[in-house]
Amino acid sequence: MADVTAPAPAASVPPAAAPERKAHPMWDMLFKRLGFGVITLFCVSILVFAATQVLPGNAASAVLQNTATPARLHALEVQMHLNRPVVAQYWTWLTGLFHGNLGTSLASNVPVTTLIGGRIVNTLVLVLLAGVIGTVIGVALGMWAAAHRDSVLDHVLSVTALAVTALPEFVVAMALVILFAAVVFHFFPAVSVFPPGVAPWTHPSLLVLPVLTLVIVIVPYTFRMMRAAMIDALESDYVEMARLKGMSPRRVLIFHALPNAIAPTIQVVGLNFLYLAGGVVVVEYVFNYPGLGQGLVNAVSDRDIPVIQAIVLILAAFYVLVNIATDMVSLAASPRRRLPRS
Amino acid sequence: MDLSRRDLLKTAVAGSLAVSAGGLLSACGISAAQTTSSPLQLSGTPKRGGTLRAAITGGSTADTLDPLAAITNADFSRVDNVYESLVGLTPTAQAQNVLADEITPNAAATEWTIRVKQGITFHNGKDLTADDVIFTFQTILNPKAPAAAAAGLASIDAKGMKKLDARTVRVPCKTPFASFYEALAIPGYSAVIPVGYNLKAPVGTGPFKVQSFTPGTQSTFARYDGYWQSGLPYLDQVVITDYSDATGQVNALLAGQADVVNLLSADVIAVVESQGKKILISEGGGWNPFTMRVDSPPFNDPRVRQAMRLVVDREQMMEILFSGSGTLGNDVFGVWAPEYDHGLPQRHQDIEQAKSLLKAAGHEGLAVQLVTSDIGQGTVQAAEVLAQQAAAAGMHINVRQVTATEFYGPSYLKWVFAQDYWYYNFYLPQVSLATLPTAPFNETHFNNPTYNKLYQEAIATIDPAKRQEIAREMQRIDFTDGGLIIPFFPPVIDGYGANVHGLVPSKGGLSLNAYDFKHLWLT
Repeated sequence: MADVTAPAPAASVPPAAAPERKAHPMWDMLFKRLGFGVITLFCVSILVFAATQVLPGNAASAVLQNTATPARLHALEVQMHLNRPVVAQYWTWLTGLFHGNLGTSLASNVPVTTLIGGRIVNTLVLVLLAGVIGTVIGVALGMWAAAHRDSVLDHVLSVTALAVTALPEFVVAMALVILFAAVVFHFFPAVSVFPPGVAPWTHPSLLVLPVLTLVIVIVPYTFRMMRAAMIDALESDYVEMARLKGMSPRRVLIFHALPNAIAPTIQVVGLNFLYLAGGVVVVEYVFNYPGLGQGLVNAVSDRDIPVIQAIVLILAAFYVLVNIATDMVSLAASPRRRLPRS
Repeated sequence: MDLSRRDLLKTAVAGSLAVSAGGLLSACGISAAQTTSSPLQLSGTPKRGGTLRAAITGGSTADTLDPLAAITNADFSRVDNVYESLVGLTPTAQAQNVLADEITPNAAATEWTIRVKQGITFHNGKDLTADDVIFTFQTILNPKAPAAAAAGLASIDAKGMKKLDARTVRVPCKTPFASFYEALAIPGYSAVIPVGYNLKAPVGTGPFKVQSFTPGTQSTFARYDGYWQSGLPYLDQVVITDYSDATGQVNALLAGQADVVNLLSADVIAVVESQGKKILISEGGGWNPFTMRVDSPPFNDPRVRQAMRLVVDREQMMEILFSGSGTLGNDVFGVWAPEYDHGLPQRHQDIEQAKSLLKAAGHEGLAVQLVTSDIGQGTVQAAEVLAQQAAAAGMHINVRQVTATEFYGPSYLKWVFAQDYWYYNFYLPQVSLATLPTAPFNETHFNNPTYNKLYQEAIATIDPAKRQEIAREMQRIDFTDGGLIIPFFPPVIDGYGANVHGLVPSKGGLSLNAYDFKHLWLT
């Protein structure tokens, strides 16, 4: 965040884009951050590759398990090209990447894109649905609680939010399954199993409990931040002024307080999305949801390096992009900080 | 972290029992009242049609439809329905012809003649012939890519096989191989694939043909109308879904999203039954041994191995791991085989004798590391129980848990004190894999000259009675001198819905009667 308001170094501005005038600081930031993002991803790929080399056992021994005679192990290692030098293996993967080729899964001998394409969609649906629903509920509840500060319901909401933040997601998930699917009621499916190649939204009932779990986990954070930021805004001089001018409470809340409370909340929303990209692993595990998290767990236990690389890079890219988007949006929401310092 | 989460999930499942037992809802009472048929009740007339949904653990992206490379439960659940073997195991763990019509040895057990049944077709319509049998064994023994069975069938002279007529093959062996027939019953050892087999368009002779297959996720199979056993299978379709662990499996069964689930732990039996679902408990013949390397200190001293075997309270271990079900072990494998010697004295816990053996060996207060991993039913828990029981004899067993991939990584077969899992098989084929110096999976590095000589004698003896006599002599050596601790043969616990019929318990050690779905029918 420190560099957000820094003056733009001329070198990083694409010269063709704006030759005669200084680029807008937001564009400048975007290009710089994207550049750093690419470098980050490159470093991540080296780290992940190195880490997979340190792990005991390789894809061949993981596949053969207790049928791994030396002859079988050797044959499979040759077939998987695991007997080549480590640097050469990495180089093959990297050059493949520049040709848009993520490689072939060692464990299943299927192209990585085929293997994880559906999983990306499945996880994205889960993350977006939970993120959007959770944000809307969190912001609405936060605004309401701030406007009705110290009411009974406000206290109930605050205490509940605090309690829920203490619950790990698998506890929430299991509680929901016991309550709504497996034991008490049988309203929704207990596991989210759908055929490969089928989009998850064609089976909406399978999404209910996984999304609900994630929503319950992220709402308290958004709610608490929104409430605090709104209370700050409502106590400010300009809101006082607006009230004195005789504006309706609703108008004060929505047009005067909300725009000023939204910037810190956006940061929390961004963090929530980042959490979702990781937290989804546990939820996918509990519901047997065929997403990226489940794919990554499988790939690590199989030492399936191309698949590990692809999934980790996708998650890392998601982190980078969400971070950039969060900063851009909160910058847009704070007009003062958008101007270059003179 | 992982362990605590798993524990918590288990507790949560167990907790759901409390909820339902409390009678919070009438729904539970209704579903419990509906369950009247016993798991063995086969009296109803089987009905054709329907789709069976199986929730299976043990799979991953490494899932395969290659019957010669199958390893995990998830693999066997699929390949056992698509392919068939020359010889298979009955539910009572006896070897029986499946595709084979007749298999006969010569007098020296150096040559076997296999004739396959007539009128069997692969899913592509091709007839099963002698060429397919030759192709299968040559694929298994391909030196460039040996299959899982290659080590166990190494005596076959792959180049010398000869087709005698359309359905008959002569299989010469480089060394006598009297246990050939029994070895063929090991899962994956004689699953027949057609000449020119292509894994991308896999066909077998089994009751179901492959419709779709996504490793690590889901696969579907359709009834093969040309199946040779008339009237079978009853089902139109089978959908097999991979599950990461028992939590999801049990939830799917309880919520009615799965019809059969495999390999449950004993602690979920009560929950499953309280919700009107069924449990199938089989006495498995598989074994999850502790393996002591007889060529490494401290286990190179037979007294230490004996002491270690004497500290185990086998009954207590089975009670803790499987709530008492399972079969008591006596440090010898092959429990259902006719040659298994039930006359050996049952070994029980004897702390005093263990202590005095340790003292005599100069290893009082022995400290040793036991490498464990979540590889078989209750392996990790068994390690923890053993450590506690051994403490009574003043031993300090430091349990080190590693991931399955690390366990089977570069140190596999080199661990000094570890565990493993084995599926059931007859005694002699398993000896050739486990306890000979030439055995590919000789975890204990066992190399006893008398034992080795006896094996060579047994393998050249066609007469079953004589062979059994020699095998029992070998078992006495296993019992007194071996490096394996086999405290129990774990039970196999599966779950199924009340709408599923035709399931029988089986002793082979694989779930759901070796995933025999052709006899299942739905109501």
